[in-house]
Amino acid sequence: MIEARNLSKRYEDNVLALDDLNLRVNPGEIYCLLGANGAGKTTTINIFLAFIEPTSGQALLNDIDAARNPLQAKEYVAYVSENVMLYGNFTARQNLDFFARLGGKRNLRKDDYYQAMQKVGLPEKAFEQRVREFSKGMRQKLGIAIAIIKDAPALLLDEPTSGLDPKAGAEFLETLTELRSAGKAILMSTHDIFRSKDVADRVGIMKEGRKVMERTGDELKHENLQHLYLDYMRGSVNPETEVKAND
Amino acid sequence: MIRDIIKKEILDNITSPKFVFTFLLCTILILLSVYTGVANYSAEKKEHTASVALNRKNMESRRDYQSLASGIKINKPPQVLGTIVTGIEEAVGRVAPVNIASDPNLIESKYESNPVFAVFGALDLMFIVKIVLSLFAILFTYDAIVGEKERGTLKLALSNSVPRDKFILGKAIGGYISLLLPLLIPVLLSLIILLLAPDLSLGRAEWSRLFFIFCMFFLYLSVFFSLGLFVSTRTARSSTSFLVLLFIWVVFVMVVPKVAVIIASRIKPVPSIHEITSKKDAFLRQVSAEVNKGLPEWIQKNARNFPRDQKAAQEMIMKYVKEIQDEATTRIDANNAALEKDYQLKKKEQQNLAVNLSRISPASALTFGSMTLARTGVDEYDRFLSSVRTYKPIYTKWINSKMGTTISVLTGGEQVRIDDMPLHHLEPENLSSSLYKALPDFSLMIGMIIVFFAGACVSFLRYDVR
Repeated sequence: MIEARNLSKRYEDNVLALDDLNLRVNPGEIYCLLGANGAGKTTTINIFLAFIEPTSGQALLNDIDAARNPLQAKEYVAYVSENVMLYGNFTARQNLDFFARLGGKRNLRKDDYYQAMQKVGLPEKAFEQRVREFSKGMRQKLGIAIAIIKDAPALLLDEPTSGLDPKAGAEFLETLTELRSAGKAILMSTHDIFRSKDVADRVGIMKEGRKVMERTGDELKHENLQHLYLDYMRGSVNPETEVKAND
Repeated sequence: MIRDIIKKEILDNITSPKFVFTFLLCTILILLSVYTGVANYSAEKKEHTASVALNRKNMESRRDYQSLASGIKINKPPQVLGTIVTGIEEAVGRVAPVNIASDPNLIESKYESNPVFAVFGALDLMFIVKIVLSLFAILFTYDAIVGEKERGTLKLALSNSVPRDKFILGKAIGGYISLLLPLLIPVLLSLIILLLAPDLSLGRAEWSRLFFIFCMFFLYLSVFFSLGLFVSTRTARSSTSFLVLLFIWVVFVMVVPKVAVIIASRIKPVPSIHEITSKKDAFLRQVSAEVNKGLPEWIQKNARNFPRDQKAAQEMIMKYVKEIQDEATTRIDANNAALEKDYQLKKKEQQNLAVNLSRISPASALTFGSMTLARTGVDEYDRFLSSVRTYKPIYTKWINSKMGTTISVLTGGEQVRIDDMPLHHLEPENLSSSLYKALPDFSLMIGMIIVFFAGACVSFLRYDVR
C-alpha cells in the first residue's frame, strides 16, 4: 500500500513544491497522478523514495514512514524512472541481475531473468545484448523488468511512458494491468491523459503542488478527463476543496 | 550487497574502453621504463667500475706526490633502485674531485654531458606513477557518483534498501581494484625483469625497499582515487567533475612543487656558489701570498743559522716548509669549512622549507618519499657529499705527509705509492633510517586519503540523487 498523509514539501528557496497531499493506493490498484511540469508529481515520488525529506506529513509504504525508516520502506517498493539509462557496458541480463541483487533477490536463475524480460516484451535476442545498443523503448522495458523481478508490493513509476512509441506504450499498459492483477499497488506520475483513463483505478490531477481533483475510474467513464484536465490547468475550475484519500 | 556493488563496479570498468586503453598504455610504459632503467643501470655500473679502475691507474702512474695534491676523483656508485626511481642521480653528477684547494662537489652529471636529458627528464616508474597513473586514477573516478546520477542508475540503485555508506564503499573498492588490475600484469613482468637482469643484484634489503616504494605508489594513486571520488560527490555534472579534478591535478603535480621552491628561495635566500667560491679563493690567495712572502723572509732571517752541510740545510728548509704548509692548510681548511658550513646550513634550511611547503602536494610527497627509499634523493646526495668532505682532510693529511717526506729540492720526485692511501667509504643507509625519513610522506598521503575519502562519504550521505 502507498499512502501520503498531509504531505508537504517547501524547498530552501521557499518554493512550495507539495502542499498537503493526501492519497492512498491500495493493493491491486493503479493510481495516476496527472499534472504539468513542476506540479509536484516527481517530488511526491522522490519523497516516497526518501530522496527528499518532507517538510511535514508522512509518506508511507506498507505503513512504514519512508522518511523515518527509508531502508525498511524501500524493501516494499520498486521504481521505474522516466529515462532509464542503466549500465551501457552490461547486457540486459547483467543489469537485471545487479538490480535484482540490490533489491534483495539472490539465487535467481538465468531463466528467471529471461522470463521477466519476456514478460515486458523484450525480444529474446536482446537478453544478452549490451544495453548501450538498446532503443529508449527497450531500456524502458528493461527498467520495468527490473521492477518486476524485485517483486515488491508497491510500484512507483515516474512518467514511464514518456518517449515510448504507441506500440511500446500499449505493451507497457498491458504489463501494468498484469501487475495490478498480481495485487501490486501502483502509483504512476504521467502526462498521458488517454492511457491514464484506460488503465487507472483512480486519477489525481496536481497543480502547483496541490492535488486539485481526484476521480475514480468508474467516475471517469462519464466524464471527459481531457477537458477536466485542461479546465484545471487553465484555472477555469476551482480546485475541489477537500480531496480525500480513499479508505 | 557490498560484494555485488564491488563486482558490478569491476565489471563495469573492465568492459569499458578506458580499461583497455589504460591496460595497453600501462603495459607499454611500465615495461619500457623498467627495461630502460635496467639498461641504464647496467651501463652506469660498468662505467663506474671502469672509472674507479682508471682513477687508480692514473694515481699510480703519477711521478710525484705533488701532482696528486691537485686531486683525486671519488666516483659515486649508481643506485640499483635508480632503475625504478631515478631521482636526482642524473642531475647531480657522478664524480667528486678531492683536492687540497677546494671543497669537494659532485660534477660530470649526465645532464652536463647531454643537456637534452635535462629537458625531458627520466622516464622512470616513479614518473609514470606520478604523471600518467594519477591521471588514470582521475579517469576512473571523476564520474563515479555523478556519472551514475547522470545515467539514472544511482536513483534506481538507491530506490532499493541499499545503505549509502555501503554503496560508496563498494564503489570505492571496486573502482580501486579496477584501477590496479591493468597495473598488475606489467608490474609483475617488471619484477621478473628486475629478478632476471644479469647486472642487477637485489638483496633482501633492496626487495624490502622496493616493497615500500610500491606501497608508496599505491598510496599515491589512492590519494587521487579518493580525491576523484570526493569531487564526484560534490559536483552535479561529470564534465565539471573532470575539469575540477584536472585543475587540482595540475596544481598538485605541476604548480605546488615549483612554487614551493620559489617561495622557499624568497623566504630563506642562499648566497650563490660563486660568492662562496670567490670568498674561498680570496682567502686562499691571501694565505698563499703570506706563505710566499714568509719563505724568503725566513730564509733571509735564518741564513746565518743554516748548517754547512747541504743535506742538513735542506732538512731544515723542509721542516719549515712542512710547518707553514700545515699551518696554511689548517687555516684554509678552517676558513673553507666555516664558509661551507654556513652555506650548507642555509642551503639545508632552504631545502627543508621547500620540501615541507611542497608536501602539500601528494606528488611531492611521492617524489621525496620514493627517492629516499630508493636512495636516489637529496638525502643520499648530501650523505655522499658529506662523506667525501669528511674524507677530504684525511686525504689532505695523507698527501701532506707524503709531500713533506718526499719533497726534494735537488733530486726531484719519486714514484707514487698509494697502498697506504686512506680510502673513501660510505656505509649504505639502512632501511629503518630511510623509512623514518619517508614517514612524513607516508603519513601525509594516508592523511589525504582519509580526509578525501571521509569527505566523499559525508558528501554522499547528503548527496542529492535526483
